Amino acid sequence: MKALHKNIIREIQRSKSRFFSIMAIMALSTGFFTGIKCSSPSLIETGRKYFDENNLMDIRLVSTVGFDDNDIDAINDIDCTVAVMPSYMCDLSARVNDAESTIRVHALPERTETNAKEINAVDVIEGRLPEEPDECVIDSYNFNANTLKIGDTIKFNETVSGNKTLDQIKHLEYKIVGTVRTPMYITYQRGNTNIGSGALAFYIMINPEEFVSERYTCVYVQTDAAANGVSDTSEEYKNKISEQELIYEELADKRVDEFNKTTYADAKKKYDDAIKEFSEKKTETENELIDGEKKLHKGELEADEKLLEAEQKLADGEKELEDAKNQLEEGKLTYSLKTSEAKQKLAEAQQQYNDGKAAYEKAQLEYDISISQAQSQLDRARSKFNTQYTLFYGTTKPQAETKLTLLKAAIDVCQEALDKTNERIRKLEQSLEPAESVQNKLDELKEKLSEYEAKIKEYNIQYEEGTAALTEGERKLNEAKQQLDDAQAEFDTKKAESALQLGEAKIQLETAEKQLEEGRFEYETGLTTGMFELQEAMNKITEGEKKLELGRRELNNQKKAAMEELKSSREQLESGKITAKTKLDDAARQLSDAKDMLEKIEDAKWYVYDRDDNPGFSGLVDDAKRVDSIATVFPVFFLLVSLLVCLTTMTRMVEERRTEIGTLKALGYSDAAIAFKYFIYASSASVIGSILGSVVGVATLPYIIVGTYGIMYILPDTTLVVSVESFIISTLLGLVCTCSVATFACLSELRIRPATLMRPKAPKPGKRILLERIRPIWNHMNFTSKLTARNLFRYKARFLMTVIGVAGCTALIIGGMGLKDSISVVADRQYNEISLYDQVYALNTSGSTEEKQYLMSQFHKDKSFKNVLLTNMKNSHASFGKNVYNNDMSIVVPDNIDDFKKMFVLRRRTDHSPISLDDEGIVITERLSQVLDCKLGDEISFDIGDDPYKAKVSGITENYANNYIYLTKNFYENLVGKPCKYNVILTQLSDGAIGNEHDIMSKWIQNDDILTVLNIQDQVDKITSTLQSLDVIVFMLIVCAGMLAMVVLYNLTNINIAERVREIATIKVLGFYNLETANYIYRENMVLTIVGALVGLPLGTVFSVFITFAIQMDIVMYPQNIEPISYVLGFLLTIAFSVVVNFIMYYKMKSISMVESLKSIE
Amino acid sequence: MQKDFVKFENVYKRYKMGEVTINAANGVTFSVDEGEFAVVVGLSGAGKTTVLNILGGIDSCDEGRIIVGGRDISHLSERDLASYRRFDIGFVFQFYNLIPNLTAKENVELATQICRDSLDAELALQSVGLTDRINNFPAQLSGGEQQRVSIARALAKKPKLLLCDEPTGALDYTTGKSILKLLQNKCREDGMTVILITHNSAITPMANRVINMRSGVVISNVLNPEPVPIEQIEW
Repeated sequence: MKALHKNIIREIQRSKSRFFSIMAIMALSTGFFTGIKCSSPSLIETGRKYFDENNLMDIRLVSTVGFDDNDIDAINDIDCTVAVMPSYMCDLSARVNDAESTIRVHALPERTETNAKEINAVDVIEGRLPEEPDECVIDSYNFNANTLKIGDTIKFNETVSGNKTLDQIKHLEYKIVGTVRTPMYITYQRGNTNIGSGALAFYIMINPEEFVSERYTCVYVQTDAAANGVSDTSEEYKNKISEQELIYEELADKRVDEFNKTTYADAKKKYDDAIKEFSEKKTETENELIDGEKKLHKGELEADEKLLEAEQKLADGEKELEDAKNQLEEGKLTYSLKTSEAKQKLAEAQQQYNDGKAAYEKAQLEYDISISQAQSQLDRARSKFNTQYTLFYGTTKPQAETKLTLLKAAIDVCQEALDKTNERIRKLEQSLEPAESVQNKLDELKEKLSEYEAKIKEYNIQYEEGTAALTEGERKLNEAKQQLDDAQAEFDTKKAESALQLGEAKIQLETAEKQLEEGRFEYETGLTTGMFELQEAMNKITEGEKKLELGRRELNNQKKAAMEELKSSREQLESGKITAKTKLDDAARQLSDAKDMLEKIEDAKWYVYDRDDNPGFSGLVDDAKRVDSIATVFPVFFLLVSLLVCLTTMTRMVEERRTEIGTLKALGYSDAAIAFKYFIYASSASVIGSILGSVVGVATLPYIIVGTYGIMYILPDTTLVVSVESFIISTLLGLVCTCSVATFACLSELRIRPATLMRPKAPKPGKRILLERIRPIWNHMNFTSKLTARNLFRYKARFLMTVIGVAGCTALIIGGMGLKDSISVVADRQYNEISLYDQVYALNTSGSTEEKQYLMSQFHKDKSFKNVLLTNMKNSHASFGKNVYNNDMSIVVPDNIDDFKKMFVLRRRTDHSPISLDDEGIVITERLSQVLDCKLGDEISFDIGDDPYKAKVSGITENYANNYIYLTKNFYENLVGKPCKYNVILTQLSDGAIGNEHDIMSKWIQNDDILTVLNIQDQVDKITSTLQSLDVIVFMLIVCAGMLAMVVLYNLTNINIAERVREIATIKVLGFYNLETANYIYRENMVLTIVGALVGLPLGTVFSVFITFAIQMDIVMYPQNIEPISYVLGFLLTIAFSVVVNFIMYYKMKSISMVESLKSIE
Repeated sequence: MQKDFVKFENVYKRYKMGEVTINAANGVTFSVDEGEFAVVVGLSGAGKTTVLNILGGIDSCDEGRIIVGGRDISHLSERDLASYRRFDIGFVFQFYNLIPNLTAKENVELATQICRDSLDAELALQSVGLTDRINNFPAQLSGGEQQRVSIARALAKKPKLLLCDEPTGALDYTTGKSILKLLQNKCREDGMTVILITHNSAITPMANRVINMRSGVVISNVLNPEPVPIEQIEW
């Protein structure tokens, strides 16, 4: 090995991370590109293989009158026919899961002489194929899977739309023995029918022998369109089939003519015979009825007579009773007269007694008064005496006596003093003392003496007086005593007198009382006797009444019996009438059936269908195209980023190897030989990356994507188609890009002379940036910020690479989220803003207009509904020029335009301005206009029933789910020329009823006129749950975004660190801590990430719009809606990815040795 | 003036290069007093740079003790070593190691912004004789000017110790001389302890102390009683 080659290998070994970044970005871009590019062909191939292996028919023929063997032979004779399989099919209804379901019954495909291989072969998913006549297999993808299981039995309704089920198939009940998959139905769509609500719930398959009809109902044809290697999914096949369809249509015309000549003529004759028979029968029955009526009339007359007689008897009895009653009345009168007389007498006696009593009482009173008067006189006299007595003996007498005693004593004293004085006088007179003094003394004594004498005198008078008073008192007392004694005597006399009088009065009273007692007894005895007599009379009357009642009852019974007899004979007549009428009606109906049949036969018609008419068939290719268009976004994006990654990486590498290049040049190697190293380095990284990425991408993405679509399609396991060309294209493109970038990076260095190269390259000088001119900002920035700012503008390629990469990351996340946001609001916008009805009641289509109006009035009465609308809602197809809309779509003809406005909001999407539905034209939904590519005023054609009509578009309304054509009743009737037949009632629940939807539904479904009920909320829930499959796509986009961000940021940081090892080491020596050092580099990363993420926000919006547009389906229009949270998440996730990368790089930064700073510049 | 301001005690540093173990420092022992201008001289591979790296806290020793200003730095944690470099050491590199995207003044400020007590950047630049070119980017400065910026950056931190790794290695004779003059002045006038590494023994007379190394060992540590001003030295 040459030294130069060894150098290459060592280079790769030494710089693994650099090699890895180129490899990773290449792996990512080719991986996603080829992976998604393979998904679309894989999806198509899965379908194609399935159709091929199971012999999916190319042409399906259906006739209104069926096919016979001659028809089959004629089809077989056509050149391009490869195989023909005549078969049967009918639509029936059954009650499944408590609701009327319309079910399509197919015959199992079989091999016959004309087709060696079964056409539309089925795959048994579970269980087995039917063996017994009454067994069936069922749709493996039916919505009732949770209630219908293998082993269950389906019981069909006896009639469907007026036809007997047993006229079509041999049994009413079929046991489910297995589930199957058929290439006829590859989506959940089951197509339409003209019975019931028009929507088929699922299909079952039974043995062909189970069909009653002699004529085949449909014919499956395989043509040579797909022969000679023409793919079933190609345009070539489509063109060929459209040509062949014309051949079969031509044949159809011929066969219909033939049919008219033979079969129709026979039927017509039979019909005429039947009419004759009917009219004969009618006359016969009518005669019988008239006889019956006559008999009844006679019976009625007889009964009336008998009744009259019995009534007379009863009237006599009643009269007798009346007389008895009168007698009683008289008795009652006598009784009351006698009683009142006795009462009078009694009253008189009572009066006498009362008088006596009063007299006695008066006497008593008088006696009491006089006694009490005497008593009080007596008492008064006694008390007076007592007072006097007490006064005299208690007070007067002792006082007087004491006084007297005292007076006597005083007198004595005075006497003594007198005596003494007298003595002294004498002595004096005797003594003869000087006369004067003695005289004086004597005078004095004489004076005293006279004084004492006066006193004694006075005292004696007083004493006299006292004694007199005492005597007076005694006298008075004696007087009182006398009075008292008198009073007592008087009292006693009086008392005796009065008592005598009273006794007399009492005796009188007692006599009167006795008399009264006697009178009362007499009266009472008389009363009792009278009452008893009356009672007896009354009893007699009651007995009489009882007897009368019995008689009356008997009469009634007799009457009733007679009436009943009459009634039963009348009923007999009535029922006879009804039976006759029923028989007649039956005959009439048979006749009208025969007429219908005849009419049907009259306009016999063959329909020619191809695969595109199979429900959901055309969607497969569209879906595949959709995936493909998403795939085209990635390479553009990734290639741009990988180009920039390579450029920066290789430039950096060449710069690092500057001295080496110089040395090699100096040694004499050619430029090409030197460049070869970088060329190989870049290309090997690119090729290895591409291969690795493609392998991983191809091995995972198609399965994820086809698997996601698998939720909507019923297909066998994915067949992987490896798109080698897309692998080669992406690898080559990557190779060319990396190699040219490598060469470009080398060339700039190779042009320099070796001598210069050997010297270290002058470091890229620092430059002032624009920001520095804005002094106020610049001065306020710290060094790391300034440094970051300058660095950002220094390396423009790196700036661009990171911003584009990071913006791409944000855009992918927002794109994914936006996709989900857009889709998840479909249900909400559709059912909360546009279609405001809550329930759809499908009516029995056979009912008359009056019956429907009556049903409507019942609906109006139900308080659960706020609004009710009778509508015609029929499945339809539309086309405009070359554009055909083949999916489910309905025409809506409301009965009442005002109620319609409450349930359907017709408005322009852009400005929400209302659109009016009038008799001028039709209003179509926006998505329909997009698919058909028509404008206002264009005339589009659409089906009503089986016939096409044309009408002018007068409005295009906002709508998201499904497509509708709205027509007014007048417009419809003018267009079709027949009155509009309504088949559904739409209801809006009142506020109180919300939450009870299912109760209301199960109440109404009991009504025979209602076939099915659809609850919109259930529908919304179902849609919401199927939307979860979108999470896979969203997750895939986020993973992809994360990887993109990682690779770009890893690469950026890697280069940054490699380039600035010296700087980092230096600032470490200066004493920066690890975190400060990391910040030094990360600030740049963060700024770039934020700038990138900000750029990514509008980019994401655009991207989301693109994806949403790319995945658009015919039946759904996705609103452009990105929730603010999606932007926030897109931004934050991007930052998070950046933080993760920074975290990984932190250790790399930490491990940089400071010794690096001391090394000389290489 | 503290004696034995910097002290190496039997320091070992071994590098493993595959099978062979190289003893870059094989029991280095020396000391430098505060305020001295010490020159470590020796041939290429003598272990001078190892000594300087260990002393500057950018490398660790395997054995022995290093004491700077009374603090043992031989067993500091990574973070403490960073603080040591931040606050105690001024480093002058052979190739200046200026950040190309910052102006001269900003380069100095890069150091001062992380220090608690630092010189004003412009003053620091003035003190190294650079006044009119402080707003130029490194690429616009000559080698000598860049080295002045580098010295200013080291001094602005007010370090305890100024370590210079061949500061004249990339400069021409005259410029080199002027840089040495600057360093000598800083030592004499400001009392800064300077340890300078060189392979050029011709400049040893300017130093207070000359430490001679060979094969990872100090072979002599001589005090120079009469340092000669740099102007008088020719080589």
